Amino acid sequence: MLAKRIQPMVFQARRLYVELMFQVMGRALQAVSEVDEKVQNEARALPDGFLFEMMVMPNGSKLIVEHTGQGRFRYHDDQAPRPVDLSIQFKHIAHAFLVLSFQEKTSVAFANDRMLVDGDISYAVRMTRVLNRLESFILPKLIAERAVKEYPADLHLPEKLISAARIYLKVATNFVETVRA
Amino acid sequence: MTNKYYEFFCPVKVIAGKAALEHIPYELTGMAAKRPMIVTDKGVRAAGLLEPVIAACEESGLEITSIYDDVPPDSSTTVVRDIAGIYRQEKCDSIIAVGGGSAIDTGKAVNILVSEGGDDIAKYSGAGVLKHPLKPFFVVPTTAGTGSEVTSVAVITDEAKGVKLPFTSPFLLPNAAIIDPRMTLTLPPHITAATAMDAMTHATEAFTCMAKNPLSDAYATSAIKKISHSLLHVMDNPKDSDGRLDLAQASTMAGIAFSNSMVGLVHALGHATGAICHLPHGLCMSLYLPYVLEYNLETIRDPLGELLLYLEGPEVFAATPAGRRAEASISAIRKLRDALYKRCQLPRTLKETGKVTEDQLDHIAEMALDDGSIMFNPKEVTLEDARAVLRRAWA
Ligand SMILES: [Fe+2]
Repeated sequence: MLAKRIQPMVFQARRLYVELMFQVMGRALQAVSEVDEKVQNEARALPDGFLFEMMVMPNGSKLIVEHTGQGRFRYHDDQAPRPVDLSIQFKHIAHAFLVLSFQEKTSVAFANDRMLVDGDISYAVRMTRVLNRLESFILPKLIAERAVKEYPADLHLPEKLISAARIYLKVATNFVETVRA
Repeated sequence: MTNKYYEFFCPVKVIAGKAALEHIPYELTGMAAKRPMIVTDKGVRAAGLLEPVIAACEESGLEITSIYDDVPPDSSTTVVRDIAGIYRQEKCDSIIAVGGGSAIDTGKAVNILVSEGGDDIAKYSGAGVLKHPLKPFFVVPTTAGTGSEVTSVAVITDEAKGVKLPFTSPFLLPNAAIIDPRMTLTLPPHITAATAMDAMTHATEAFTCMAKNPLSDAYATSAIKKISHSLLHVMDNPKDSDGRLDLAQASTMAGIAFSNSMVGLVHALGHATGAICHLPHGLCMSLYLPYVLEYNLETIRDPLGELLLYLEGPEVFAATPAGRRAEASISAIRKLRDALYKRCQLPRTLKETGKVTEDQLDHIAEMALDDGSIMFNPKEVTLEDARAVLRRAWA
């Protein structure tokens, strides 16, 4: 509780940011799965009705998407209709913030023991690739290079979708600047 | 400030060197264990490797209560349940696993059942399910490669469902690993070579993949130095116990390194090849290592270049311009593989194995992409990349 009194605004902002970013990513996952063949091919290997969750331990914000078949995702907000099949859990909100503000790559976060996988590891590998692909869509090239291991050479998405997502990113960047200070 | 962060954990007591086995009774007594059960396989027993273990205990007045010597190469949930049954029936209070990867994994899984209770090992599958320390558990490795004596992982096949169940928990780590050169003295040449190359790969991948950290780096480089120094010497002098001990210690050090910093694409391809073509793990490691390093080269130039010092020694390192060291490290590994091929025909290409057909490559690539190890490879691997590496490794 002591920490709360010291920097209440920063913690509040970070929490809101992570929550917002989960929503952005959830919607973006659904949108990308409707147009991008690469994401669809990755997702097709998941069982129909497969539920994927990303959450902050112990009971923080979460993001839930369902694979509805044919490589399509549906965003479920933070409510799972049944127990999830795969859960990627950040050990602390600070670690979620590092990843969701693109200061640490998803794969690096795994390597750095920032998060845990509960479920089939091969599905986790697949979802990490989907997230990498997603990050490279949402982010301008410069930031994406930091967020994903490699920036793909073949991104063909409707400009509209990209710009919509980038609006969120702007909000996000402001958050980072505020919180980082 | 960088975002670099790491964790390092290895609570296993390492008991290594001449007459190490004779420390087992003292270690058991120290944990109030009086009725140990040995878990091993037929090969170990036939090679006469149990005698020194049993003799060491009996001389100290410690009777081995039970011996299970029928662990198959790919251990199953049924085997684990059977052994746990015998353990309970004989009122054992501790486990000594003597063998390679399979016997050690079986020992870990049996320890879960006899400590937590029940007959259904599948219930404990996954990460972090165990919340309490288990029974006293000791490991005596009889191969120098897997490093299983210092990893917190076990894999057991569920035959009924046809799946491999992974178990991970720090509680699976043994209380002590006993490294005695007598245990690896009789390893046949091709197994010596393949398992040493597995250890070499653990160390090399630990040092060049994404989760590398200063502590695992120290173990990885020491392991590479020992293997480079001793492997060919042991191939030519199989009864040299100092050389054997070097390889066994290197394997343990490489195990400590990779269990704290993970492995990469060599293991992803190797796991897939093992599953599809039934080739031994160490052989696959030796086969893929240089091709994967070439694929990763531009991302790992610095660390790979550093390894030249441990692979070839200070003279070669100093004589090689900094910009050529990474390539020279790959050449050193290729040279070692050629020397092993000359001595025991350890295959260097998929074609040389005689057990892989070209039309299996796509399947291997697809399966490798689902392997957990691929997550820590420094370069993001696409299906086309994996196919390209396999084509290079073909012939
Ligand atoms: Fe290995």
